[in-house]
Amino acid sequence: MRFKEVKDTFFEFWSEFRKVKYGMVGLVMFVLFLLIVIFESVLIPFPETGRRWRDITYWEDNPKNAAPVWVNWFTRKRSAPHLVLDAAEFNEKKAANTQMVEAVFKYDYAYDLPPLDLLLRAKGKGLINLVVQLERPDGLRIELVKKAIRLNSEAPIRLSLDKEAASASSNFLQTYEDPAALRSISMFTVQPVETFFACAEQGLVRNPIPLKGEYRLKLTSVAVGGGAALTDPSLTVAGRVFGVMGTDASKRDLWSGVIAGTKWALLIGLLTSAVSVLIGVFYGVTSAYFGGAVDLVMMRIYEVFQSIPLLPVMIVVSAIFKPSIWTMILMMCSFFWVSSVRTVRSMGLQIKEETYVEAAQALGATRRRIIFKHMLPQLIPYAFASMALQVPVSIVYEASVSLLGLGDATIVTWGQILHDAMQGGAVLQGLWWWIVPPGLFIALMGMTFAFVGFAMDTILNPKLRTR
Amino acid sequence: MYWKYVLRRLASVLFTYVIIIFIYSALFNTVMETTIRAQIDEQVKQEMLLQTQIMSPAGLKQYQEERLALYYKRYHLDEPILPRIFWRALSTLKFDFGNSTIIRSAAGERKVLTIVAEKIPRTVLLFTLATAIDILIGVLLGMKKAQKPGKFLDQSTSIITMIVYGMPTWWVAMILIMLFVYKIGIFPSGGLHSIPPPTGLAYVLDPLYHLALPLLTLVVIGFWGRAYLTRNIVLSTLQEDYIMAARARGLAERKVLYGHTLRSAAPPIATMSILSLLSSVSGGLIFEGIFSWPGMGNLYWVAIQQNDIPVLMGNLALTTLFYLSGLVLLDLIYGMLDPRIKVGGKA
Repeated sequence: MRFKEVKDTFFEFWSEFRKVKYGMVGLVMFVLFLLIVIFESVLIPFPETGRRWRDITYWEDNPKNAAPVWVNWFTRKRSAPHLVLDAAEFNEKKAANTQMVEAVFKYDYAYDLPPLDLLLRAKGKGLINLVVQLERPDGLRIELVKKAIRLNSEAPIRLSLDKEAASASSNFLQTYEDPAALRSISMFTVQPVETFFACAEQGLVRNPIPLKGEYRLKLTSVAVGGGAALTDPSLTVAGRVFGVMGTDASKRDLWSGVIAGTKWALLIGLLTSAVSVLIGVFYGVTSAYFGGAVDLVMMRIYEVFQSIPLLPVMIVVSAIFKPSIWTMILMMCSFFWVSSVRTVRSMGLQIKEETYVEAAQALGATRRRIIFKHMLPQLIPYAFASMALQVPVSIVYEASVSLLGLGDATIVTWGQILHDAMQGGAVLQGLWWWIVPPGLFIALMGMTFAFVGFAMDTILNPKLRTR
Repeated sequence: MYWKYVLRRLASVLFTYVIIIFIYSALFNTVMETTIRAQIDEQVKQEMLLQTQIMSPAGLKQYQEERLALYYKRYHLDEPILPRIFWRALSTLKFDFGNSTIIRSAAGERKVLTIVAEKIPRTVLLFTLATAIDILIGVLLGMKKAQKPGKFLDQSTSIITMIVYGMPTWWVAMILIMLFVYKIGIFPSGGLHSIPPPTGLAYVLDPLYHLALPLLTLVVIGFWGRAYLTRNIVLSTLQEDYIMAARARGLAERKVLYGHTLRSAAPPIATMSILSLLSSVSGGLIFEGIFSWPGMGNLYWVAIQQNDIPVLMGNLALTTLFYLSGLVLLDLIYGMLDPRIKVGGKA
């Protein structure tokens, strides 16, 4: 096959393919998936997702089991979303051995359900005295935290007001809430941060009325000692809703996880199907061309492989040897090749009888030349179609093994997210944003290749044409 | 003639099974031996506890060594690697899978064969029932599709076939459980019986109630692919000359379709049905786990969680046997449907 012939065959095929609508839809979806992989770092808010998926410290500021942000569009009570705020006002004064910082954060609260936590983050060194004050829209000023921190070298400071402001919260409640109502509930059930976002009146605990408006959180720090300082303060509002797809029980951003899993799914699917179909096609053609004893032996080997139930074997092997993703791909390749052998062999048997093969033989062409030059090119379209249809199968197999918790622990795949969801009781608690997206992506990816593969299949089998 | 064909197929499958078991034994030899050694050590320690009163420390030591050597000899652990693999394979072929480490059967037994055997009927019940319903709906829908190819019914169902093609059944199961069990609450969450199990007639109906949602999930996802394949097979048969001749004779369309077309399309349809039943049985590993349906698939989940290697191995060997007998069954049905096969002609 010369280059021009390849080009002609391709364009001929393309003009047929263009007419199949769902084939084109599949192709567009495939391009979209490729774009997701290429622009992964732009799409995800947590760039180190791939490497630090199992590192809890990377995710610690996120809320736990938070629903996606767009849930707010469909509910009557709107929840506070997750936000990271920089200081709106920042004043620094330096004297001989002290540094004074006054930072003000402005938080515009316009929701019905308050955030779960307020996290103050900064870098600090030396002895630091901290005071955190909250100024509410109704003019109330509450001192939330008063604390001294000693750091020998520069280190990050992380203040969770959910823990630190517990006593301030209980003071606040005792001032404004009916004592009888307070006695009737356990203080352990009160989320301290939530109380500050309700109107200061009776019913604060039972039926809080959200106080909307601008909240000002003032952080004052005095750092004493040589080189002592507090720098880069920021405020994280841990909301009830988070990002595009919410978070899981380990506070991980699911959108980042699902997007980071795309490249692995594509890799597993494409690599496995390409390798295994190539092996299968070659095996089938060889068996068909040589015939006789070679065919007999090759078919016997094929039958043994075909009779092994792959998924159980893969699960047992994974449970015992704890393989990496590459071993898993290798394992799938060494079994998936059987799926195309039978068809290829029968096609090969037909091609073998064609007159041009006979002519080539008469001209003294070698076996290799006949197989590679006259037989294999005929099978290329079929090979592509079965590759496309093999991709979803490989992805589902990897996901199934991962679902059992036997996946490669150094990467993040959709099956592993679903495994965590199973373990984390997502089904029981109805955390649909943890279950639906990963599986939906598996299904969409499967759909993409099914569209392309089925379209090719229709073109290749003239008997199935409906026009 | 047919019996000769049957015998030949049986012999060939038996041969394949032996080869596969040898491959398994070679692959998993090390981990199996580690487990057996641990079990022997435990056994000998218990025996020694009985002897501590009557024996001196030196005698006890010697006794331990003797007992260990005896058991090692019994399980062929003192031989070189190749004979060890051979003996391991042989005992697997004799259905002697040894004792489990943790998992017990319903009656409290530790024999792996008993543990796995009590799971088999449940898996068979769920998957054969699902496949039977699948085939019924799938084949009927496929015939309808082939009758008017390219029309609305055909096109729309084909698109659905492609949409569900790469959809993991267990994921659909997770969503349906979330929806129907925990949100709406009309189905039980899993298992075979309610706890505590009801008595009387309700005891018989209870498993059926538990069967409903898994069955529904399998059928809802399953029949689309079958319908599409049936359509393709029937469509190419419909273009044969004898169909045109039958239509030209003025036979009723129903007769042409279900009499003439289905008769010659039956062998490939049977093939694909049984092959998909087999693949669904091995795919059911995950599926059963989601529904905690106590079959062979669920046993893999439990065995992996408990790290119970003998059960894992026994289950794998029996799953393989199961799979192979399905393949034989396929050949036998094929031989009956397609008379060319049993007389040794070319298919």
